[in-house]
Formats: sequence, structure tokens, C-alpha cells
Amino acid sequence: MSPIDISVTAPKSASSGAGGVPKMQAKGVNVFYGDTHAVKNVTLNVFKNDVTALIGPSGCGKSSFLRCLNRMNDGIQGARVTGEITLDGVDINSPRIDVVQLRARVGMVFQKPNPFPKSIFQNVAYGPKIHGLATKHADLEEIVAQSLSKAGLWDEVKDRLDAPGTALSGGQQQRLCIARAIAVDPEVILMDEPCSALDPIATARVEELIDDLRGNYAIAIVTHNMQQAARVSQRTAFFHLGELVEYGPTSQIFTTPKQERTRSYITGRIG
Amino acid sequence: MIKDHIVSSYDIDLNSLKASIARMAGMVDDEIAGAIDALLKRNSDEAHDIVQADKAVDALELKVEQDATTILALRQPVAEDLRQVLAALKISNILERVGDFAANIAKRATVLNRHSPSVKAQPTLPEMARQVRTLLQNALDAYLDEDAEKANDVWMADKHVDELYNSLFRELLTYMMEDPRVITPCAHLLFIAKNLERMGDHATNIAEIVHFTVTGQAIEEARPKSDDTSYAMVVPPASSGPDEDANDKN
Repeated sequence: MSPIDISVTAPKSASSGAGGVPKMQAKGVNVFYGDTHAVKNVTLNVFKNDVTALIGPSGCGKSSFLRCLNRMNDGIQGARVTGEITLDGVDINSPRIDVVQLRARVGMVFQKPNPFPKSIFQNVAYGPKIHGLATKHADLEEIVAQSLSKAGLWDEVKDRLDAPGTALSGGQQQRLCIARAIAVDPEVILMDEPCSALDPIATARVEELIDDLRGNYAIAIVTHNMQQAARVSQRTAFFHLGELVEYGPTSQIFTTPKQERTRSYITGRIG
Repeated sequence: MIKDHIVSSYDIDLNSLKASIARMAGMVDDEIAGAIDALLKRNSDEAHDIVQADKAVDALELKVEQDATTILALRQPVAEDLRQVLAALKISNILERVGDFAANIAKRATVLNRHSPSVKAQPTLPEMARQVRTLLQNALDAYLDEDAEKANDVWMADKHVDELYNSLFRELLTYMMEDPRVITPCAHLLFIAKNLERMGDHATNIAEIVHFTVTGQAIEEARPKSDDTSYAMVVPPASSGPDEDANDKN
């Protein structure tokens, strides 16, 4: 099997993760920024074929937690992470883990689209090249085409792959970043507010894309937009003041939340 | 009690829905009382007023529907807020139906008033009406106070109305068998009783909606019921004497 065999896996049903083995497990995770205790003892699993939405007011620790999942907090001065996080049962903070490899397996899409100041083709080809996923140019072309197709961008850019990535519209740039993330054949995709800089149409495209991608990956998404969390996710985790207050099926969280704080937040009573 | 919304106009919108329902409930209660009064006092003018008054209830139902649609479109309510809006929609619909039943009683009262008062409006009817009004008032209190307990009480109490309906049903059948000339008024009285019995059912429907709105869970047990008239069958006593002979000859 070629390492880029990302399109042949049949999408599984949304519920397949329900009783299944978690793709990523976080146990008792704490994040400190200096004296600030940003994430407090969070235990949460992320499943393949499911979108897990992390919601909560600003400063509740949801982004800090998301960033633990591919060790993005490593580079932050004064940040300290405790607790255990595993990917397929292997501790990602273990010294044996190569963080570059980890971030290839656990990709990330950020709030503001941040394409490299290079051509559309180079933006997508860069990852597979440095990870040695393609040796021949033809293979690279194939990966780029596939990734752009999966990100729903191929038809819009196939005639101008040499144009700079920064010349695309905001929504196209974000889908380019998603194409870049999936080009390295990840297993988990983390998204931090991927639509907050996009207009409603571009947002709808990205949401549709997230639903498609769910067939092949485990996805965790941080969003301020509760309606978006309700639309795209199968599981929702509500964070407040660094704590994980409630985690459950999205349909339950948005209809009959069990915790008073969740209720107050989703109905717009606390912020 | 839960906190207010951060956006205070959201609370104003939700409260105005409740206020509309409360007004509807008051109007419907007046309709029931008036319709029964018109029946007992053989007052066709009052009955006519009731039929006219029902239009205001219909108009209010339309207002609730429009206001609820606006909230759904503009606020995208979730959890208990969503259940509140759905409850208002459903309860307004139920109250409109109950108003229709009351107006129907008033219409039948005008018909009965054209007959000679050979069949007295049964004393059971005002008692049924009293109980049904209490059920509806309690169901509405449960809705306004968001009180699932009170809703459960209403839900359990409707069987008394069913029992009254049962006995009246049998009583009226007896009158009709005794004297075919009272069949028309008795049939109307039977429909009036059925209308009241349906109102009681609707009070329990409101109670179920309130329970769901407050708790997020539907009432699961089966409701106690005493209306077995759907299975009633009257076999006329076998004729005897000369009549039988006459039949034989035919």
C-alpha cells in the first residue's frame, strides 16, 4: 500500500467511534503558562470518524487543550503540560516520539489562513516532500491533486497551480491550508477556529469539507460558534475556566445538557 | 430559577410568548364558562357572543405562531429555550382547539334552546365543565411556573372527568331508549359532554408538554384513563307482547 493512500478508505458511520477504541486519549491533562493554570485535569478521548467540538467562552482553555494534542505548546515560553496524552495508545510526550513526525500524524489548521508565500502547488507539496512521502515529481503531482480535491479546492485552482497561495480568497486560502494539512496523510486533524475569518459561504464550504474528511480522520475542532459546533460535530466538550464541564453526544449537549453551566452557556446566559 | 439571558431582549421575547399563552388561556376559560352558562340558562344571546369571542382566540394563536417563528429564525434557541418555544407553539394550538370545543358547545346550546326544555341540561355537565376548567387552569399554572410536579398532577387527574363522561353517556342512552322524541336534544348533550371530555384530554396534553419542557424528558408511563364509552354497546331489550306479534306478521 502506498503511503498516500488517503482516498480509498471507505467512510465509516458517525457512530463507529461510540464504542470503539479512541484515536487519541487525554488523561488528567494540565496546562500551565507560568503561574496561570489554563487547563485543569482534563480527560477526553477523540475518536476516528468523529468530529469532536470543543466549545466554551474565551480563555476557557479549549485552544490550550487542543494544542496539547500535537505538542504545539512545546514552543511556548513558560508553558508546562502535565498528564498523559496518547495517540493509538502511545504517549506522545515520550522522548521516543519525534515531534515533527507527530505533527505529520496530527495536523493542524489555524484560525487565520496562513499559506506559505509560495505557489499553490508548493504550499501543498512542501509537507510530503520534507516527509519523503514522494520521490518522483509525478507522485508529488498526484498528492497535490488529491489533497486539493479532498479540500474541495481543485476545480477552482487546477489551472493556476503556479499562482501564489496568498493570492487566493480567504475561504480558498483556508481550504488550501486544509489541503496542506491532509497532504502529509495525517490521522488526526486539529482545527482551531477554522472558519472565524471566513464569510458564511466559505464557512459552509469548510463545514461541508469537515463532514467529508470525517470519513477518513479523527477531527477535533475549537469553535466559538455554537451553531457550527452543533452542525459539524458528533461529540461536544464544554470547557469553562480551564475545566472540562461536560462531554457528550452533540445532540444531547444542545438539547438536554446535564450540567447547569453547560445549559447557561449554550442558551446564552453566561459568556 | 435559571439566570436571565445576556441579551435581555431575548428574555423579553420569550416572556411575551408566555404572556400570549396566558391571555389565550384566560379567554378560553371564559368561553367554557360562558358556553355552559348559556346552556344552563337557555340564553341564546350569550351563546352567540361566545361563538363570536372564539375569533379572538384564533387571532391570538396566529400571533403566537408568528412570534415563535421569529424567535426560531432570529435567536436559534437551544435546550430549554428551544423547548419553551416549541411548548408555546403546541399549547397555543391546543388552546385554539379547546376554544373551538367551547364555541361548539355554545352553538349546540342555541339549538337546544329551540327545543322545549323536555330534557334538562344534565347536572353532570356543569360539574364536568368545572373540573375541566380546573384541569386547564392547573395545566396552565404548571406551564407558567415551569412546574413539572403540578403538570403530573393534572395528568393523573383527568380520569375523574372521564368517569363523569362515562356515567352521563349511559344516562343519556337510557333517555333516548325510553323516548325517541328526546334523541335530538340528547345527541346534542352527548356531543357537549364529549367536547368537555376532549378538553380534559387536552389539559393532559398540555401537562405532558410542560413536563417535557421542564425536564427534557417525555412522560413515559401510560396515562390512567376511565373513558370506556368507545367500547359501549347497548342492546335494546327484546320486545314482548303485541308488538312482537306485530313484527312477526310483518
